[in-house]
Amino acid sequence: MTRPLLEVRELRTYFSIGRGGFMRRKSVLKAVDGISFSIHEGEVLSLVGESGCGKSTVGRTLTQLETATAGTAMFDGRDILNLTHAEFRPLRRDIQMIFQDPFASLNPRLSIEQMLAEPLFIHRLVRDRSEARERIAATLELVGMDAKSMNRYPHEFSGGQRQRIGIARVMILTPRLVIADEPVSALDVSIQAQVLNLIKQLQRDSGVSMLFISHDLGAVRHISDRVAVMYRGALVETGEKRQIFETPRHAYTRKLLDSIPRLEKRIA
Amino acid sequence: MSVPLSIALVFRRRALATFGMCWLLIVGIAAIGAPLLAPFDPLEFDPFVRLSDPGWPHLFGTDHFGRDSLSRAIYGARMAILIGSGSVLIALVAGGLIGMLSAYFVRLGHLLMRIVDVLMAFPALLLALVLMTLLERSVLNTVIVIGIVYATTTARIVFGMTLKLKRDVFVDAAICSGARHASVLFRHILPNLVSPMLVQASFIFAFAQLQAAALDFLGLGLPPEVPSWGNMLSEERIYVTRAPWLLIFPGALIILSVFSMNLVGDALRDNIDPRFKNDIAGV
Repeated sequence: MTRPLLEVRELRTYFSIGRGGFMRRKSVLKAVDGISFSIHEGEVLSLVGESGCGKSTVGRTLTQLETATAGTAMFDGRDILNLTHAEFRPLRRDIQMIFQDPFASLNPRLSIEQMLAEPLFIHRLVRDRSEARERIAATLELVGMDAKSMNRYPHEFSGGQRQRIGIARVMILTPRLVIADEPVSALDVSIQAQVLNLIKQLQRDSGVSMLFISHDLGAVRHISDRVAVMYRGALVETGEKRQIFETPRHAYTRKLLDSIPRLEKRIA
Repeated sequence: MSVPLSIALVFRRRALATFGMCWLLIVGIAAIGAPLLAPFDPLEFDPFVRLSDPGWPHLFGTDHFGRDSLSRAIYGARMAILIGSGSVLIALVAGGLIGMLSAYFVRLGHLLMRIVDVLMAFPALLLALVLMTLLERSVLNTVIVIGIVYATTTARIVFGMTLKLKRDVFVDAAICSGARHASVLFRHILPNLVSPMLVQASFIFAFAQLQAAALDFLGLGLPPEVPSWGNMLSEERIYVTRAPWLLIFPGALIILSVFSMNLVGDALRDNIDPRFKNDIAGV
C-alpha cells in the first residue's frame, strides 16, 4: 500500500483547567491522550465514541483550532502540528472541516455568496467576482441547492439546507481531506439520511479522504471504510468496518455496538 | 436580516419613542437651519434690553448682556448635535477597537482592559473634570474628553460581546477557510456588533449632553461665548430669582433632549436585543 495521506502518531491534546496560581493547583484535562491512526487517499475513516471522549478534539487539533500538546500528524509528508498558523494557512485549502451545528457555523450577517466567496478569494482560486459567482453556483448545485440561494442569508434556510451550505463551503475548495465533525447529529432525523447520502456521494465522486467523527453507529456503518473506536481520549480498537461491526475485539466496542437499538432482528 | 433593523418596527406601537424621535428631528432641524431660524444674532449684545421678559420680539427673553435667548437656544442645538455625534464617534471607534482587540488578543487584553478598569473606577463626571482641567476649554477638547469617558464603557461592552463571538463556531469556520485575524475581526465579528453598538451610541449621545451641560455649568466645558444650553445655564444662574426663564428654557431643552434620546435608545435596544431589557448597558 502507498503512503497514507494523513498519518497521526501519538497525538496528545491537553487542556489546562483553571489558571493556577497561589494555592491553586493547575489541573490538566487530557482530552486526547496518545492516539495514532492513518487515512489513505480516498478512504473514509470513522472515529466513534461516546460524547466527551475527545473525538471532536482530534478533528479540531488537526485543523489547528486547538493546539496539540505532543505527537505528529504527517499530511502529505509534512508534519502539520509543527506549523505556525501562517504556515498552515495555505494547507487549509486541502484540509477542510464540516461542523456539527449548521445554526452556529454560518455567520448570520453574511450572505451565502459572501460566505462561499471568502475561501475562494483567500486561496486565490478565482480572479474576480463573476468567476466566483460561477463557481459558487456550480457548488451549490452540487450539494443540491438552487444557485439563486447565494443572494440570501442563513436565517432564510432550514437546518438541512444550512448544512448543505456548510458542505458547499468545504467542497468549493476541492480539499484532499475532509474532517466531518458529527455532520448530521444536529439535524432532524428525517433530514439526516439525505445529508449523509449527500456526503457519501460527494466523497465517492471526488475521491476525497475523510475523517468522519460520529457517535451514530448507523451513520458510521453507512459511510466508512474503516472504523476507529475511541474511549476516554485513547483508541481502543481500529479495524475494517466489517471486522469492527461483526467481530469486535475490545469489550468497549462490544458495549458500544450493543447500545444500538436493533429493529431488524425482531422483523426477521 | 439583510438590514440590521427596520425603522418602522422600532417605532411601531411605541408612542413615547416616536415622540422622542420627533423632538430629536426638531433639534436636528434647528441645528441645521440655525442661521435662518434664529431671529437675532446669538452673540450680539444689546444693553437696552438686558434681562427682558419673554415676549415680542424676544420670545425667550434676553440674558444679562441683552442677547436673545431663543437665538442662543437655537444655536445651542448645533452644539448639542455636534457634541453628541462627536463623542459618539470617538467613543465607538476608540472603545470599539479597544474592546475588540482586547477580547481577541488575550495578552493585549490583559493590559488594555486594566487601563479601562482604572478609568472606569472614576465617576464619569470626575474623570471628565480631571481631563478638562488638563486641557484648554474648546469645543474639540470637550468632545474628545466626553468621547474618552464613554469609550471606557463602550470598550467593556464590546469586550464582553467579542469574547462571546470569538468562541462562536462561525469564527472557527472562517479560520478553517483561511481567514486572517483582520478578516475574522472586521468581516466576521464586527458586523455582529453593529446593532448593539447602535444602541450604545444612542445612550452615549444622551449622556454626552448631560456631561457637556455639567462641564459648561462648572465652567470647564465649551468657551463661555459659545452659545450652548449648558453655558446659558451657567452664565445666567445668578439671575435665577430675577429672570428664571433664562434657566428654565435651556434646562428644559437639555432635559427634553436627553429624555428623547433615552426613549429612542430604549426602543432600539428592546427591538434589537431582548437580552438587554433589564440591564442599563453599562451607562
